Amino acid sequence: MSGMKMVGLKLDGRTVQAPEGTSVLKAAELAGIAIPHFCYHPAFEAEGNCRMCLVEIEDLPKLELACSTVVREGLIVRTSTPSVLQARKDVLEFLLAEHPLDCPICDKAGECKLQEYYDRHGLFPGRFVEAKEKRDKKVAIGKGLLLDRERCILCTRCVRFLRKVTGTGELGVFERGVRAEIGTYDGVPVDNNYSGNLVDICPVGAITDTDFRFKTRAWFLKKGPTVCPICSRGCAVVVESVTGYPLGIDERKVFRIKAGENPSVNGTWICDLGRAGRRDIDERRHVRVMKNAVPEEELSWQKALADVTARIRAVPGPERSAKIAVVLNSRLTCEELVLARRIFAESLGLGKISFADPKPGAADGFLLTEERVPNARGVLQSGFSPVLPDLDTLAAAEVVLVFGSHLLEHFSEEAISRALAGIPSKFLFSAHAGPLDRSAEIVFPVAVPAEKSGTYVNIDGLRQSFGRAVEPPPGVVPELEIFGCLANGLGLNRGEPDAC
Amino acid sequence: MLVDVLIVLVKVVLTLTWTLLLALFLTWVERKQSAVMQDRIGANRASVFGLRLFGLFQPFADAIKMLFKEDFVPSFSQRFLHWLAPAISFFFVAVTMVAVPFGDAVRLFGRRIPLQVADLNAALLFVLAMLSLGIYGILIGGWASRNRFALIGSLRGAAQIISYEVALGLSLVGLIMVFPSLRLSKIVEFQGGTLFGFLPKWGIFLQPLGFAVFFLAGLAETKRVPFDLPEGESEIIGFYTEYGGLKFGLFMFADFLEVIVLSSLAVTLFFGGWQVPWLGGLKLAPWAVTVLQVLAFNLKVFFFCWLQVLVRWTYPRFRYDQLMDFGWKVLVPLGVVNILVTGLVLALR
Amino acid sequence: MKIGRVLKELLRGAGITARHFFVNMVFHTLKLFGVRTKRRGAVTIQYPEERKELSPRHRSLHRVLSREDGKPRCVACMLCVTVCPSECLSVEAAEDDDPEVQKYPARFVVDLSRCCFCGFCVEACPVDAIRMDTGEIRLASYARSGLDLPLEKR
Repeated sequence: MSGMKMVGLKLDGRTVQAPEGTSVLKAAELAGIAIPHFCYHPAFEAEGNCRMCLVEIEDLPKLELACSTVVREGLIVRTSTPSVLQARKDVLEFLLAEHPLDCPICDKAGECKLQEYYDRHGLFPGRFVEAKEKRDKKVAIGKGLLLDRERCILCTRCVRFLRKVTGTGELGVFERGVRAEIGTYDGVPVDNNYSGNLVDICPVGAITDTDFRFKTRAWFLKKGPTVCPICSRGCAVVVESVTGYPLGIDERKVFRIKAGENPSVNGTWICDLGRAGRRDIDERRHVRVMKNAVPEEELSWQKALADVTARIRAVPGPERSAKIAVVLNSRLTCEELVLARRIFAESLGLGKISFADPKPGAADGFLLTEERVPNARGVLQSGFSPVLPDLDTLAAAEVVLVFGSHLLEHFSEEAISRALAGIPSKFLFSAHAGPLDRSAEIVFPVAVPAEKSGTYVNIDGLRQSFGRAVEPPPGVVPELEIFGCLANGLGLNRGEPDAC
Repeated sequence: MLVDVLIVLVKVVLTLTWTLLLALFLTWVERKQSAVMQDRIGANRASVFGLRLFGLFQPFADAIKMLFKEDFVPSFSQRFLHWLAPAISFFFVAVTMVAVPFGDAVRLFGRRIPLQVADLNAALLFVLAMLSLGIYGILIGGWASRNRFALIGSLRGAAQIISYEVALGLSLVGLIMVFPSLRLSKIVEFQGGTLFGFLPKWGIFLQPLGFAVFFLAGLAETKRVPFDLPEGESEIIGFYTEYGGLKFGLFMFADFLEVIVLSSLAVTLFFGGWQVPWLGGLKLAPWAVTVLQVLAFNLKVFFFCWLQVLVRWTYPRFRYDQLMDFGWKVLVPLGVVNILVTGLVLALR
Repeated sequence: MKIGRVLKELLRGAGITARHFFVNMVFHTLKLFGVRTKRRGAVTIQYPEERKELSPRHRSLHRVLSREDGKPRCVACMLCVTVCPSECLSVEAAEDDDPEVQKYPARFVVDLSRCCFCGFCVEACPVDAIRMDTGEIRLASYARSGLDLPLEKR
């Protein structure tokens, strides 16, 4: 905010500085004073339809909206006078007059603004004896989204999001007064790559996602922030998982991925592909070491890896470059790539290090990029020059280590198995089960990005470190540990205590 | 000669069977009597073909259960010693019964057969010696368990039993002074007459203090509740913590045998043994006399068993210092006083 | 004298237990000979044959109540799951066709091997769908699986 002109104002008796042009609500937030609001969202212009953010401003006869009042020098604002508190109560009472008491069956319960504000600012007994108005409770508005018009408080965040952010504008407010309701134009459904954000920005439970609907309750979810591995944008995401009964002691289940906040990358939005990434975390996972396509209950990855090390060592030094082939991928973190480079390129002197990545898709012009790997820049920075493997040179090797199962996206299954058929030692390190498992001698289960901590470099060269969002299943480790063990087994000092 | 051996064998088998049977049912008595004392019913579910008989089959059920339990030996302990301990405990208690006369001698096919396995001339010493040898069972048990709590428990037990051994021995000195014999059959015979014409000439009337000391010290020897510090099953950990199944059963059985042995000794030494008082005037057939004698002896033994169970379910456990104080500062001096008074009375007579 | 008092109390104690023994034995014996007395020798309730009436507040096996149309009253809000201190409840919700009901429990399992019968689930339920008033207290099972009770089927 340097370079901006700052104005001084008084907030609840404190003198605070705020950049010129910001709203009172934003200035209060910067000063650590939370003003309740429904319709205001930092990404849009203030609309001021929910009336929740009323504050008292000196010399003005009535309460003013904090979201749409711009700060001025010498403004004196009070956010918790009796009249403000009463106004909040009154606004809540109006909203709740028609809002159904659906909390037990509402997915938003636990993270609902209406619930939260009633608890903090309301707590009045109901005065209405009339029955609440009946409206449509389950309107499909497209892409698995369901609209509940009873719960809707008409903050129009969804409408504004679709107009301002995606520019598609599928939703609008229809009718007027008490009959006003959210709807699609002529039944044309919401259909864009960012529809999942509607669920996030809805302050109540009016828009819900069938993918998450009724699966669990918000307060059971453990939130793990990480970086989205779907494309090279590197959006901040939050992986929300559940542990405990009736799941086993080491088990966890990922229920959804929500947008995290990162103003310099994604703001508060993520695309639907990123949300669907939750399936990659829990579904089709390898949890055991497989030998010749048979899961081994007893065999630990450390023991199996000792076998790999022995096979590599068995190849005489001068022949290694020709007889050992490694296929990496650009979903590995920078830390893993650096270690892989030190082992395979520098110590073993391999020439055959290639990269098999998911095929690029179409960019959508907003967040989603063409590249569908999170760390392509990191690969370059680690000193690799990624080339697609050549099946014929692969077939000439004696020891092949394949990381990831993306070979399948470039070659047919038959071609790969034909190429690998003659190789005596072929090892696959893959998080997910797939047709490639049948061709490999030993398949090692590895962690998915959400189970790793590391660093990705995004498409703009932004370096982002992240921690583990969820714990990997027992016996499953990130490639980093596998590389570490390989380094140890090959007698390389990687300068830190090891795991095996 | 062969007949003599045969007779002894039969007597051994009969005595052992009877004693073991008594001990077995004493476990039932203990459960039922404690239940009745506490307004409960007690074990009554064990049944054979639906026949419950107040749970009389419970001891057999218990025995079968213990037989089929795992023969567990703690790691690092010695299997042989671990087995030896309960065997010693059991043996030295059971063997004391050979000296106890169940009745007067009977004449059978022209032979005089004493209703006693062995009429030892130093039977009293033999009994005391065997009872004190039982300590080895406790000590070895604690040692072989390789468990420091068990070891400490066994040391507590050994200290307690040796301490009360002293009082037990002293309490009997007065008795030997009155009935000048160590032969149990003789002692019983001495108690045949009457005192002052109406009281049976039982040890209890000649040696009341001696009996009190003997009985209290004997209770302590049985290691049962007011004196159960060696085991202290509910709170403090005792010497058979590491025992289970048959071996634990042997320890428990030895405990119940001790109750019977103590009862038999109390009866033999202080309550006239098989003597039935005020029977001199009646002319009865010899077999009837024998039956009466055996019956009288067993009834007296039953009474003392009942009394011991009553004591066990009435009083709370001593604290260890109280236990030692009671043994050394009360019972031993009382035993000495008893000897002095007895000596004085005998000298003045 | 202290010793005298101690002895007196010791004997008194033995007297009390002995009295209980003899008095109870009299009633036991009378019963054995078929004499019916108002007082019994023991206060024991012979459980499987004799049952004590449960107090109305007694917390026994859970049940899930039904609506008038037979559907479970439970809306699968999982507040019971939330409040359960022993984590013995697991509820899986499903979508009901009726938009007024919306959510119903496809699975409602109580793991009796974990349940501590605190009754918090009953307190927490917003729709009075779970109660612990079945009076069923014979809950033992030979297998662990027998203790996972699917309540939505009852």
